[in-house]
Amino acid sequence: MANYHPNNEFLMSFAAGQLSNSLGIMIACHLEQCEQCRRQTSKYEALGGEILASIESQKVSPDLISQIMDKIDHQADSKPDTMPTAAKNYDIPRPLRRFVPDNFDDLKWSGMSRNIREYTIDIDDSEYTAKFYKIKAGKELPQHTHEGSEFTMVMAGSFSDRTCHYHRGDFILADEQTVHQPRASMDGDCICFAVMDAPLKMTGFFGRMLNPFMR
Amino acid sequence: MAQAQTENLEDLLVAIAQHQDRQAFVKLFDASAPRLKAFAMQCGANSNDAEELVQECMLTVWRKAHTFKRKNGTAITWLYTIVRNKRIDFARKGRYDTVLSDDLWNDEVGEALENDVSSDLEADVARTLLKALPDEQRQIVFKVYFEGKSHSEIAADLDLPLGTIKSRLRLAMKKLDTLAKEQMTWLIIILTMNF
Repeated sequence: MANYHPNNEFLMSFAAGQLSNSLGIMIACHLEQCEQCRRQTSKYEALGGEILASIESQKVSPDLISQIMDKIDHQADSKPDTMPTAAKNYDIPRPLRRFVPDNFDDLKWSGMSRNIREYTIDIDDSEYTAKFYKIKAGKELPQHTHEGSEFTMVMAGSFSDRTCHYHRGDFILADEQTVHQPRASMDGDCICFAVMDAPLKMTGFFGRMLNPFMR
Repeated sequence: MAQAQTENLEDLLVAIAQHQDRQAFVKLFDASAPRLKAFAMQCGANSNDAEELVQECMLTVWRKAHTFKRKNGTAITWLYTIVRNKRIDFARKGRYDTVLSDDLWNDEVGEALENDVSSDLEADVARTLLKALPDEQRQIVFKVYFEGKSHSEIAADLDLPLGTIKSRLRLAMKKLDTLAKEQMTWLIIILTMNF
């Protein structure tokens, strides 16, 4: 169960359907694993319902209903097939499945270094870049800060950063003030889903050397 | 509208799901289409696009009425999630490289939240909140729902400091949580008195 959560502002914007593509996907991934946030989000959906109930009506064209009935009559199958395809053994959470192969092993990882691999997720988004990072067990990312914001969700394994330990499902927000150096735990590689609005800025010595490859 | 409201939206949805009841569907249309259209227009659609969106919504209502579960929320909340989703898909029309509402919400599963709060209560809380919010907070909540602007964009729109926007929004959210807790307390008192 996740211990670190997106704040209410994100959940409200998600419930409003107003988050940018990558960030929306990330919140959806978190919600899959976090009942507490699902419950909170449903409150914001109820608020959306009340907003819908409270706004001033707009007159609709008199023939709109007949157009709709006409479409219903001419639909080939008015009954949907409701059964989702049988569950495969996915690593990838449902919200990401249209965008990446089924399993992390099938991804074309590319190297930032031997210990850190990355995969850019092809989600159309004008604001953010979405990536997976894989940190080898026991290894760490060079110390870095962020020019913008970076949202991270742990997909597999776990990592530590100074005093905190993050597990699967945890949601972490880093911004300009955050300097961090995540280290994957010893018991396995750590895979994170990261959404960022600006490239990482490495601060340590090796960090600066690494930086050009990050773009 | 008052007439239509007396006809319970929940019952209409159940009638559509179970009996493909066309009369119920028309009643539901009369009661909700003008609001769905208004919602779309608040989100920035022109009248034509708004009606196309209403059409999409109503077709979805017809096809997916069976996914409506009373315990998960009220009918108006369910309708809200439909218009929200259709707006997203409308804006991204025909482009599958982009995120669609199906990626974000899995409506077929209709997974029941182990909800300790009944959906009616949740709706009551939301309604009370909307009424109780000072205009300046309500305005920002509406901007979040209709315009999807970032906090800094809202700040620029209203010509207010970013901090003010954030704190107003937080106050509104806190009020929602407080109201929910108060309602829970009352519910518990009522339940205990019954036993």
